[in-house]
Amino acid sequence: MFFKLVSLNSRRSRKENGLFFSSLLISVLAFYMILSLPQQDVMLFLNRMESYAIDRLLSMIPILYGVTLFLLFFLIYYAGRYQLERRRHEFGVCLMLGMRRGRLFAMLLLEELGSSLLSLAVGLPAAVLLSELVSLVTVRLTGIGIIGHQTTLSWKAVLWTAAGFLLIRLAAFLILSGRISRQEIDSLLADAPEDAEKQTASPLHAAAILAGVLCLAAAYGLAISGTAWSGVRTMGTTVAFGLLGTFLFFRGLRFPMELVLKSGRRKDRRLHVFHMRQIQETVIRRSNTLAVCSLLILAALCCFGAGVSIFRYYGQSEPYVLAYTFTGMDSEKDAETVRQTLTAYGLDAPFSDLFEMRIGHIRTTEDYEHAFQMEPVMSALRNMPPSADTEVLLNNLGYATYPYLISLDSYNRLLSAAGMPELSLEQGEAAVYMGRDFTAHGQIELLDRILESEPEAVLDQETIRLTRTIQTVNLVADRSITLSFALILPDDRFEYYTQGTCSIYLNGVLAEETEAQAGLLAVISDLNDKFDRTGLSYESYLQNMGRQLFYMVAASYITLYLAVIFLLIANTVIGVQFLMGQQKSGRRYRTLVRLGAAYETLCRSAGKQIHWYFGIPAVVAVCSSLFGVWSLLTGILPSSARNGRSEMLLISAAMILVLSVIESIYIMAVKRASDRYLLTLMVPMREE
Amino acid sequence: MEPVLKIESLKKYYGRSKNQTKALDGISFQVMPGEFLGIMGSSGSGKSTLLNCIATVTRPDSGSITMNGRQIQTLKGAELADYRGKEIGYLFQNFELLDNLTGRENILLPPSLHGVPERESRKRLEHLASYLGVTDVLPKFPAQMSGGQKQRIAAARALILNPGLILADEPTGALDSGNAKALMEKLSCLNQKENAAILMVTHDSGAASYCRRILFIQDGVIFHELRRCIPEESRQEFYSRILNVMAQLGGGSANVL
Repeated sequence: MFFKLVSLNSRRSRKENGLFFSSLLISVLAFYMILSLPQQDVMLFLNRMESYAIDRLLSMIPILYGVTLFLLFFLIYYAGRYQLERRRHEFGVCLMLGMRRGRLFAMLLLEELGSSLLSLAVGLPAAVLLSELVSLVTVRLTGIGIIGHQTTLSWKAVLWTAAGFLLIRLAAFLILSGRISRQEIDSLLADAPEDAEKQTASPLHAAAILAGVLCLAAAYGLAISGTAWSGVRTMGTTVAFGLLGTFLFFRGLRFPMELVLKSGRRKDRRLHVFHMRQIQETVIRRSNTLAVCSLLILAALCCFGAGVSIFRYYGQSEPYVLAYTFTGMDSEKDAETVRQTLTAYGLDAPFSDLFEMRIGHIRTTEDYEHAFQMEPVMSALRNMPPSADTEVLLNNLGYATYPYLISLDSYNRLLSAAGMPELSLEQGEAAVYMGRDFTAHGQIELLDRILESEPEAVLDQETIRLTRTIQTVNLVADRSITLSFALILPDDRFEYYTQGTCSIYLNGVLAEETEAQAGLLAVISDLNDKFDRTGLSYESYLQNMGRQLFYMVAASYITLYLAVIFLLIANTVIGVQFLMGQQKSGRRYRTLVRLGAAYETLCRSAGKQIHWYFGIPAVVAVCSSLFGVWSLLTGILPSSARNGRSEMLLISAAMILVLSVIESIYIMAVKRASDRYLLTLMVPMREE
Repeated sequence: MEPVLKIESLKKYYGRSKNQTKALDGISFQVMPGEFLGIMGSSGSGKSTLLNCIATVTRPDSGSITMNGRQIQTLKGAELADYRGKEIGYLFQNFELLDNLTGRENILLPPSLHGVPERESRKRLEHLASYLGVTDVLPKFPAQMSGGQKQRIAAARALILNPGLILADEPTGALDSGNAKALMEKLSCLNQKENAAILMVTHDSGAASYCRRILFIQDGVIFHELRRCIPEESRQEFYSRILNVMAQLGGGSANVL
């Protein structure tokens, strides 16, 4: 009988409280996702290239696991609280009928255990599938498309997931059942009484909301001006202002709501006053919870914004051209030796093109301070309306008095390998090369505009014309070798200025057939083994990409993961709070039914309350997040990633889109639960 | 004169054949406009079921309820909600005020539910509030009111849409005798002035003595009827007649008059 009761209860709970069950599933998914990170394809791949950094990252997983444990505890706690609150009456009856508290506890514990095991049984396979999916998607997004995907199941991750999940469920259960078991039977049997409406002075709340807005404005100001990032103290001040502002804002929110209630009553809005009063009550009672939820959503949005911009920044690498660069050559002879070695080992076959990139210094003068001058460019810059970009350029170009030189011929080979039109330079002409890592998009546009007039410059007392557009294609596969400013010269001038001494890099472009046969990863790792045997020093595209990928994956994976967790927790807490409040005010709905409210009217009114209840914290969070993301863009990302307003608009739009999709899913789920509850109120209850 | 409410052989049985409770077993009666009708009976006699049937909260098994010439069992959806809100007013034992709404907002709830513009009901609200003596508690929340004030606010809410029939379910049940008396005086005065019919279920013989006619129900059937002879019979005399019947009711059917 006892076990039958347990199984009946569990089944009913699952049916009636989808929200609770799905938050359990989410927890399982979250745990597995973080624990299976080492098995992700991208991580396996990076491990071969950057094993030290990856080890550092993976050693952070226990910390992340702990944070997840802590955060999900609240999710489970709130969902479980709602679950138990709605059964208060039932517990009261059980105790009234003589069930011992110990037995009630055992019954609940068994139910809890059963539902935990079921969620694990459903959640773990789903988690494995999801992590596979994420693995495949990241591979695709990072643009490698190179990895032979292997399905992996990490038993360690499964075990830790189960352990963590059971642990937080048990902890939440003990706290919750402790609360229930301390209560007297009569308070369990009664409809949970609401406290009497607190009437508080409005001027105080007007002051609170004003102070809140001021604090928020101060925090926003500090954040976007960049002052916040200048030190721990200023950052602390900003965060403190933000927190205080949010709490004060929610505390004072009842003031504008009172104003709304007193004015603007339109005749066609049925139950307008009722649902405004309901919302006001929830805002008053739970202003702190709402503030916390709003902050969680804000954290989620900022994490999301940071993750997306980091991903976009590191992800927008130049198109892949060069697979290999052989280094350490100073003369044509060295280059020839390398070629011969490759041929001897039969290793020139995979390359469709193998060409020299020649870079050198000005050797015709010793005057490093004045070897190169481009006064017309500088004065054109000075005449432009002052902006951050012109300032940076004026500063950087002021040091470009002794530039590197690049041979036009080798640069053209590079361009044709990249599938771009070749560059032709007349006598007395030079093109400007600037590495993309140093120069932002807007700055290159500025310089391009100046170069349109072909300004003159002086290179070792000879006048040359700077022409064409700024060149930015990476010279070698090694991404740690970059030039901030260089001149591309026709070969005879190059020979003259460098006096025949230059560094030579042998660039290898992989043949398409080779690549298509086995995928880039397989080919390169295979070739790496072979090259290692030749004793040649080389850099491969993959090693460099690995470094880049590492930043991208590590930062964006973790921020996006946290964003999702924050968002889920905030929404679950909001939803559960609403449903709990609704059940506590069940008597009011019953009165409305007797006064002739139709089911649809009630559902509409509840729906409006749900919209407001979810909307208020979300809107506040969105407002704050706009400033937050702005601040992140100025504070965290390197200057070249600041592509300005359009970037920010894009990120914000994506953020708001994701947020509204998730919010509407939650709103729908809560509405369904609320409609179902209201339906039970339509049946008359005999009260005597 | 057409009756406001006409009930014919109303039946409501609970349970299956072997273990059946006949809550209403063929009750028939009429309520005329402006009548103040009381219904008395012991617990389980079927009073609440009768009231619930009229309020369309419970569906009867057979028989008919006709309100102003309309069969209310056939009403559905919006019509039904309109009927509940506009044609009947309901007065509860526990007031059933929404505790997060002020007195004024509580009274204006039925107009808001039924899409009646507020300015139309405002005049009536002021009239009712001053008549019931609750003008100064209108901006207060229920928690700040006394029991009597709450019930008078509830009465104003039941009356706001000018219903043809007021159903009162033990309206004095949660009030002390002073407040109960005041409420009954107000109700019976309203009944005479506004010609609104009142159907009141009560245990309280004192409250019942304000009625003009009382039906006694036992085991789902009308067992006795008392009429007050107005104006020659005083309320006190009527009250003692009621007590008399109550005594006989307690003594069982052998003592029926």
